[in-house]
Amino acid sequence: MSKPVTIIMIEDDEGHARLIERNIRRSGINNDIMPFTNGTAAVNYLFGSDGTGGEHKGTALLILLDLNLPDMTGTDILRRVKENKYLKCAPVVVLTTTDDSQEIKRCYELGCNVYITKPVNYESFANAIRQLGLFFSVIQVPRSAT
Amino acid sequence: MRRRAIGQVLLLAAGLVVLTVISAGSVYLVNQSREDARWVLHTVEVENQISLTQLQLRRAESAQSSYISTLLPDFLTDFENAASQLTPDLMQLRRLTSDNPVQGRVIDEIIQLSTQRIEEFRKTIALAREEHADDAARIVREGTGREAMSHIDDLANQMRAEEDRLFALRTASADRSQSLAASMTGVGSGLVVLLAGISIFLVRRSTRARDAAEEQLRDNNLNLEATVDARTADLREANDEIQRFAYIVSHDLRSPLVNIMGFTSELEELRGDIFKRIATLGRATAGAGGEIEPALEGEDKQLSEDFTEALGFIKSSIAKMDRLITAILNLTREGRREFEPVRIETRELIESIVSTMAHQASEAQAEIRIAPLPDLISDRLALEQIFSNLIDNALKYLKPGVPGDISIRGRTKLGFAIFEIADNGRGIDPKDHQRIFDLFRRAGEQDRPGQGIGLAHVRALVRRLGGTMSVSSELHSGSTFTITLPLAWTASNRNRDT
Repeated sequence: MSKPVTIIMIEDDEGHARLIERNIRRSGINNDIMPFTNGTAAVNYLFGSDGTGGEHKGTALLILLDLNLPDMTGTDILRRVKENKYLKCAPVVVLTTTDDSQEIKRCYELGCNVYITKPVNYESFANAIRQLGLFFSVIQVPRSAT
Repeated sequence: MRRRAIGQVLLLAAGLVVLTVISAGSVYLVNQSREDARWVLHTVEVENQISLTQLQLRRAESAQSSYISTLLPDFLTDFENAASQLTPDLMQLRRLTSDNPVQGRVIDEIIQLSTQRIEEFRKTIALAREEHADDAARIVREGTGREAMSHIDDLANQMRAEEDRLFALRTASADRSQSLAASMTGVGSGLVVLLAGISIFLVRRSTRARDAAEEQLRDNNLNLEATVDARTADLREANDEIQRFAYIVSHDLRSPLVNIMGFTSELEELRGDIFKRIATLGRATAGAGGEIEPALEGEDKQLSEDFTEALGFIKSSIAKMDRLITAILNLTREGRREFEPVRIETRELIESIVSTMAHQASEAQAEIRIAPLPDLISDRLALEQIFSNLIDNALKYLKPGVPGDISIRGRTKLGFAIFEIADNGRGIDPKDHQRIFDLFRRAGEQDRPGQGIGLAHVRALVRRLGGTMSVSSELHSGSTFTITLPLAWTASNRNRDT
């Protein structure tokens, strides 16, 4: 049996965080959501006090990542997560307002699993988030290296 | 510069005048010397003639005395010869000296005396012939003849002296003329050389001045280029700054907008819940339950409609703001895109654009005519955007009810290609000609969808491609957009900001 997936949400805008959370809940996902409003706190949690990320060995994580953070760029976090041997298996969903093709390409190159542009149009946004929920339930997050 | 030129002209004129004076003077003096020489010759001739006359007289005398002594007829012939020669000689002498009254008087005297002498000779000869030799000898001896003879000699000497004086005078005059001519030529040549020297000096000075000016000009050009480069760099920096600013601002504006839109939609759902509850409560108080969808009534219905209306305005405003922000984002993104110059067959490019708009054109009953167009080296995507925007505008703003006629023409001029997109549409009021190129600004009747971005975008692209664009139009009489683009755009002329 795999442990339930914990959703790490790194999003500086509380409104966005609330909307994302609501929509995730609305689509029937009841997993734990850990919100972080800045990059530093998220990094501290992810990589632990020793900076190795060893604390999360064996836990199933899913990271929702905003690219525009006040203290660091989301791509930095993405790169560090994907370079870490304990965390690299955790799926990363990039959620941002940027629909710049260059940036999207860069995120995929760094290893992000899904890139979702936050559309202002609420219906499509909600739809995207719901699809994300569907995606969560479909994807079996693999157990990290044991 | 002008004064210097006038100086040069004056100098040349002075040189010319000096040369003319020298030439005229030389001609005059040469004539003068020739005249002097003639007079000198004349003097010599006169002296010669005097001697000749004297000689004839002597010959006559000696022939006479020989005849008297010998009575040989040979001497008589000699005498007659000499006597007959004497008169023409005297006449010749008189003719020669006719210019000089002093000599004239002397010569008259000589003629008179000579004639007397000859008469005397004849008399003695006649006496001798008639055997009165003694009488003849006596006459000869009496010496009146000798006296006359010496008087003639004196007169001749007097004449010769006069001629000598004249000779000296004339020689001196000739010398003077010659030396005058020589000195005149000398002074003239000196003057010409001097003028030439001044001229050369002036020319060299102006050459130096010109060289200095050229140097200055070159320096100025270099400075100017440096200044232009610096300004261009400043402008480019400012432009980059604006681009970054626009990008960040529009990006950051989207974030709150997501919230506004998201929570407005949440509100909408809440509204649905609230009014459903109100309706249910109302129905409950009215005592009628049931499965049917509850409906609002009276004031509640009004409230619900107001709520919906307010939400509608908020949502449409958000949608509009989102479109504007997206437009700015796209513009800045376009501004950051690298241009790639490639060879473009313009006609083919425009034909492909027109074919994608064929549906739109047939709906508007418009005909698009493409004239032969010059090819260029430029960025393909940018050109596509420029022409498709302009053709799209032409189709969009046709006069209702009038079949559209859009023509695309092109020509080249001085390394630039000039394209004209002309239509017979509704036209643009001249007071709006500037405005239509501004971002988010539109002109005329607002009956077509649009953000007011197309032309601003087109102009930005044209500028980045090193060109210019303009419009000429009147209301109701169509518009012509003119685009001037360099035939060969290279990344170096503008797109150095990487």
